[in-house]
Amino acid sequence: MDDKLFITLVPGNTFLDRLTGKTKTRLFFLFIFMLVATWDIRVIIPCFVVSVIGLLSIKPDKKKNIAITIFVLLMNVFNLFLVWFIEPDYGLKMCGGSTVLFQFTDYFIVTSESLWYFGARLFKFMASFFFSLTFIQCITPSELAAGLHSIFVPYKICMVVSLAFRYIPDITRDFTNIKISMQTRGMELDSKKTKVGTRLKQYVLILIPLIITSFDRVGNIANGMDLRGFGKKKDKTYYAEHEDTKADKYLAIVVWILLACFIALVVKKTFFPGPYEVWCPWCL
Amino acid sequence: MTKVIEFKDFSFRYKKQNEFTLHDINLTINEGEKVLILGPSGSGKTTLGSCINGLIPFSYNGEIKGSCKVCGIETQEASIFKISEHVGTVQQDTDAQFVGLSVGEDIAFSLENDMVPRNEMLEKVKESATIVGMENFLQSVPYNISGGQKQKVALAGILHNDVDILLFDEPLAALDPAMGMAAVDLIDKVYKEKKKTVLIIEHRLEDVLYRHVDRVILMSEGRIVLDTTPNELLKSDLLKKNGIREPLYISALKNAGVKFDKDDNIDNIDELNIDKYKKNIIADFKKKKKTVNLSKEEKIIEIKDVTFKYGDFTALKNISFDICKGEKISVVGKNGAGKSTLAKLLCGIIRPSEGEILYNGENYLKFSIKELGRIVGYVMQNPNQMLVKDMIKDEIELALKLNGFDEKVTEERFVETMKMTGLYSMRNWPVAVLSYGQKKRVTIAAILALQPSVIILDEPTAGQDYNHYTEIMKFITDLNENFNITILFVTHDMHLAIEYTDRAIVFADGEMIGDDVVYKILSNEEIIERANLKKTSLVTIAKKAGIEPEEFIEHFIEREKEERNNG
Repeated sequence: MDDKLFITLVPGNTFLDRLTGKTKTRLFFLFIFMLVATWDIRVIIPCFVVSVIGLLSIKPDKKKNIAITIFVLLMNVFNLFLVWFIEPDYGLKMCGGSTVLFQFTDYFIVTSESLWYFGARLFKFMASFFFSLTFIQCITPSELAAGLHSIFVPYKICMVVSLAFRYIPDITRDFTNIKISMQTRGMELDSKKTKVGTRLKQYVLILIPLIITSFDRVGNIANGMDLRGFGKKKDKTYYAEHEDTKADKYLAIVVWILLACFIALVVKKTFFPGPYEVWCPWCL
Repeated sequence: MTKVIEFKDFSFRYKKQNEFTLHDINLTINEGEKVLILGPSGSGKTTLGSCINGLIPFSYNGEIKGSCKVCGIETQEASIFKISEHVGTVQQDTDAQFVGLSVGEDIAFSLENDMVPRNEMLEKVKESATIVGMENFLQSVPYNISGGQKQKVALAGILHNDVDILLFDEPLAALDPAMGMAAVDLIDKVYKEKKKTVLIIEHRLEDVLYRHVDRVILMSEGRIVLDTTPNELLKSDLLKKNGIREPLYISALKNAGVKFDKDDNIDNIDELNIDKYKKNIIADFKKKKKTVNLSKEEKIIEIKDVTFKYGDFTALKNISFDICKGEKISVVGKNGAGKSTLAKLLCGIIRPSEGEILYNGENYLKFSIKELGRIVGYVMQNPNQMLVKDMIKDEIELALKLNGFDEKVTEERFVETMKMTGLYSMRNWPVAVLSYGQKKRVTIAAILALQPSVIILDEPTAGQDYNHYTEIMKFITDLNENFNITILFVTHDMHLAIEYTDRAIVFADGEMIGDDVVYKILSNEEIIERANLKKTSLVTIAKKAGIEPEEFIEHFIEREKEERNNG
């Protein structure tokens, strides 16, 4: 298996790893939904803290995680910079105030409201990112299928998800083999020697046999599944989904609380919207 | 006796085809029988299997005449799920049927679909994994286990359903010789312990007969040609006529002029009454010609102390050997022993970590992959993975264009290659209309266009029956003889090694453990065991008759070659 990917195939041994797919998936989606639904830093910061603790608790591979975190962080900061560049007084729109901290020109000003908003936005994105990183590294594709099923996704769709994970490495291997055979026939894929356009065309050439052989395989997979009764009943049980542990039972309560919070947030936003999107302590 | 399978005047035509694939099948199989369904590719044996497990008509539509009853159920009227409660199928493609992400999960798949609660599932999975010997691998992911193990998992996956019939569709196709033997053994063990009806669809007769079967049904062109005991079948002359390879020891006996009597038991080599045939064998062996050693001098590739490492893993350790012009070499050994690493090294895809490789006396590091492609050509196992163009002409010219030949040379080389490979009459055909064997030829032609002096063929005969196999191998042998092209077969097909190559290089765990004339390698039991090869029945019979196995094999090979050359 290509270890550049973050997918886990064998369940790990930390607290989060040992939970059921159901608990992992429900917690993940609720946190993400909450983060999507709010700009309130009083919700975002606790979520952020939880996400960091979650990520650290699964003892992830440091090198891979730090690299991707730095990348995502830089992209986000750059993105915020662009937002500021286009609309320096964005804080006025979002928080309803404009307290100037410094002024480069008449147009390019830095306000504390803009900074507050940017901070909220950064924490919001980073929290979602850490949740996602934690989630994909503590769940196996089979648990994911079971977890998705537990949030009412039809089991046939869940099966498609886990099949995709199952066959990605096989397809990667086929791709490498086809590439090798084309290279020995004289296809130059070295980026120094071939132009981008030509290289793209050559990759398309490699994809043709890959697609054809993959289609052959799909037929065989489907037969194999039919023969073992896939789709026989309205529902399916999951071997990879173990019984609830004590932690799962406690976390089920947390799931309900989070769900209530999420509904409260949505209700507040829909029926009692404030004048401004972002809560800001000094702009009340 | 209860009839579990009953075909009556059964015919079947696939929706997309005009001709019927199965004609007037009348066949009854009783409970507890172990039956081999034998036939070349295209004989309809797999289609017959699909009728039994319900894929026809559930997944493959078509026209059905007559009746097919499985455990009393008329298959046309039942759902595939109903039939799968009675018939468990192990498919040929071990990768495609492994849908779970761990061994345990895959074994549990049918239980999951049956909505068995997880705690019951665990027990059942454990139980059937133990039967096939995979109980310590329940957590393993599919990428880390061998084809043989995947097949065991597939078998375990149907055992807990308590089906009546076990159907194996070409169980040996993806396995190396030793794994194949283990598979046949396992099928037999399950048959005896579970007292199921077992159907094996195969064309590799000798390998299946490693364990007793009750009946063999020989199919050809969609009809049942013969339905009899293995003993009767082996005595008949129907095998060769129908494109099935005889067990080697049977051919050797027939070559020696042995005539079998009615009550001779010949289907199990270990129980063969050799005394009866000894006289013939020895008399025939005395006619053996003196060995002619063709010495080939002109070295084209020299491999000197080559080691290759992937990270910390040593894939090849201190390999040294030479390849001379015009040789036919088989590179054998179990999967992961280093065969494909060697092929990649020779093509320059990877380069040695230590040691050096010389091409015509020059260090090959100075050549790029592209340049090496003109010296060493590499033909993949599956032609569908190599063909990228719609037309044969474009496919052949692709490599020439990529190598920057001008139009005139490209055209000349194209015509020349087409003539060399006997494809000239098809030169303007689209690729899509070709059969598997023809596609294989086109891939070889596409490589030949660059006029390499060495061709590496990866499992050229995988998944092909005896007729196609013979055709492809004759084609390759002709290229070797007429154009003096050196050929390296990466294979675990022992028949191929015996009959078509002069020299065998054997790998085990990254080391080269043998490099010698084929018959010497094949009579060396230590090498055979370490490399997961299989002792050929020629060795067994030679020993029984008190003849030196090496020489006996050599004699056999000469005999077969003569016969082939005479038509």
